Amino acid sequence: MKLLIIEDNEELLQNIRTYLKREGYICEFAQNYREAFDKVMSYTYDVVLIDIMIPGGSGLQVLRELRSVNPQAGTIIISAKNALDDKVKGLELGADDYITKPFQLPELHARIKAVNRRNQRDGQEILNINEIAIDTDSMEVTIDDSIVDLTPKEYDLLLYFASNKNRVLSKQTIAEHLWGDYVDHLTNLDFVYQHIKNLRKKLESAGAQNYIESVYGIGYKFKVPRQV
Amino acid sequence: MKLITKFIFIYLIVTVIVLGIGGYLSYFIIKGEVDKEMKWRFMDRIDRVTYLLEQGKSFKLEKMQDPEGRNLIVRPLPHVVEPEINFKDTLVWHDRLQQMETNLKVSAFRTVEDTSYYISTHGALVESDDITEAVTQILLWILGMQLIGAIGLGFIIPGRLFKPFRETLDRIKNFSIQNKQPIRAKETNVEEFNDLNHFVEEMTRKAVADYINLKEFAENASHELQTPLAITQGKLELLTETDLSPEQYKYVEASQRSIKKLSRLSESLALLTKIENHEFTNKDKVNFTKLITESTRAFEEFIMLNGLEVNTDLEEGVTLNIHPVLADIMWTNLFQNAIKHNIENGQIDITLTNEQLKITNTGQELEVDPDKLFGRFKKAEQGMASIGLGLSIIQRIVDQNDYTISYENDGKWHSITIRF
Repeated sequence: MKLLIIEDNEELLQNIRTYLKREGYICEFAQNYREAFDKVMSYTYDVVLIDIMIPGGSGLQVLRELRSVNPQAGTIIISAKNALDDKVKGLELGADDYITKPFQLPELHARIKAVNRRNQRDGQEILNINEIAIDTDSMEVTIDDSIVDLTPKEYDLLLYFASNKNRVLSKQTIAEHLWGDYVDHLTNLDFVYQHIKNLRKKLESAGAQNYIESVYGIGYKFKVPRQV
Repeated sequence: MKLITKFIFIYLIVTVIVLGIGGYLSYFIIKGEVDKEMKWRFMDRIDRVTYLLEQGKSFKLEKMQDPEGRNLIVRPLPHVVEPEINFKDTLVWHDRLQQMETNLKVSAFRTVEDTSYYISTHGALVESDDITEAVTQILLWILGMQLIGAIGLGFIIPGRLFKPFRETLDRIKNFSIQNKQPIRAKETNVEEFNDLNHFVEEMTRKAVADYINLKEFAENASHELQTPLAITQGKLELLTETDLSPEQYKYVEASQRSIKKLSRLSESLALLTKIENHEFTNKDKVNFTKLITESTRAFEEFIMLNGLEVNTDLEEGVTLNIHPVLADIMWTNLFQNAIKHNIENGQIDITLTNEQLKITNTGQELEVDPDKLFGRFKKAEQGMASIGLGLSIIQRIVDQNDYTISYENDGKWHSITIRF
């Protein structure tokens, strides 16, 4: 998958690139409006990440131009402003998603995948992890051809794990992914454990291996041996 | 009291005092003048008698009337005396008025051809009562006209003269800092009003500039803070992908939590500033019953996992006129507070009527002054993971919508009531 990251901050850009490169993405980047404009006009990308505040112009302008030349590309706006009007304006202009700083890289990754899935209608809609198959269209999970009955939250959790295989995901990260702003003020994250436990139980009883590993009591990892 | 009423009032008091003093002075001046005039006239008469005597005219002795019927006494004296003139006030019986009247009597000694004469004449003075009466009458007329003039001015001044002032006042009343438009000075031909208008323009211009600065600062500060936080967050995530020992993991996790807290803090502060800057003014109808029902459903999991019991008593279709975002923030903060500060197997009671919203929850006993809880960064337990801005935010929203908020504490029971 080919990505364009429009972000003026060197360090932040590097974080995103390092993280996404490990997932096997081809990452290109632009650090100002001019560069972004050139790249958007010259090449096609699967997903474009756009920071609203960039030197030389507005990310929203880039988004507008991208939409006119390449409407199929998935777009995610990265903004430090969680000001509502920005959010609304971005989504009105046709951005697929919106993420505010500071965000977690696994969260960003999950959203890139989701946006990509949505935009590649003709592409593969089934995510396969060994015996587990996740149909992102019908939101159904099957193990060895039998449907596993998951709650929406458990489905979300599994998809999140599948998007971030072999990475340690802290309880905080998972909680925020599943409940968003609601966890902001809560300190007790035990309910994450409850959900993991339930998901693990359901997967195992349907005949899957135990992929979810606890990591030092601070988080979890969806461990899938790399298939060579 | 209106300025103009006050002004007229003062004006009338001064007028009365001035007229009083003026009347007093007028009395003496008029009396002096009249008396003097009379004296001259009597002296004139004496001189005329003297002249007639010199011409050889003889007068009847003792009392006699002069041709014009005035009192005149001419009496020759047995010996020669020095010429002399005397003025005297006497009381003389007045036949027609049947009373004693003050008269001026002028008597003189004159010598004509070796014979000295005593010449005397008297006449009624203008009475002081009469002068007083006349002066008073004049003054009352003047006062009356002053009064009419003052009242007339009272109608004209507010209407015409104070028009620019009232216009300025109206524009100050309608001034809204969010429009970012200073009040432009309007030229008038009155110096004071011009000064006022220019001052108002200068002041509002500065207020608007400060407001814009503050707004930009709040937004920029929030923005500038979020980027480094995002960087640090990302770096820590990359760090977790390297080979870390369990201890190192814990450090990383703790750092991430701190970053999250910092980011929330700056968001909350930015939100507070925005509310204080009145950025959320577009009110809309918000169905609170629906809002509460939906959010309790969203929190269901937390409620269940914390072993809490939630009882709701909601009146149907309670609708408030408030900015939808603020309504949401207010309620979410209230509810989260009730969950966060609760105890194991605790309870939350929510009652909503058209007049008020009351949320009661079990919790630890309070150790700090309840009034202080609404201040920024005030926490019941220091060192708790919360940042202590929740109640300040609620308070701001409540203030901005002219609601009132109160907190009650009864041992383990805490309740917050918002009256609409």
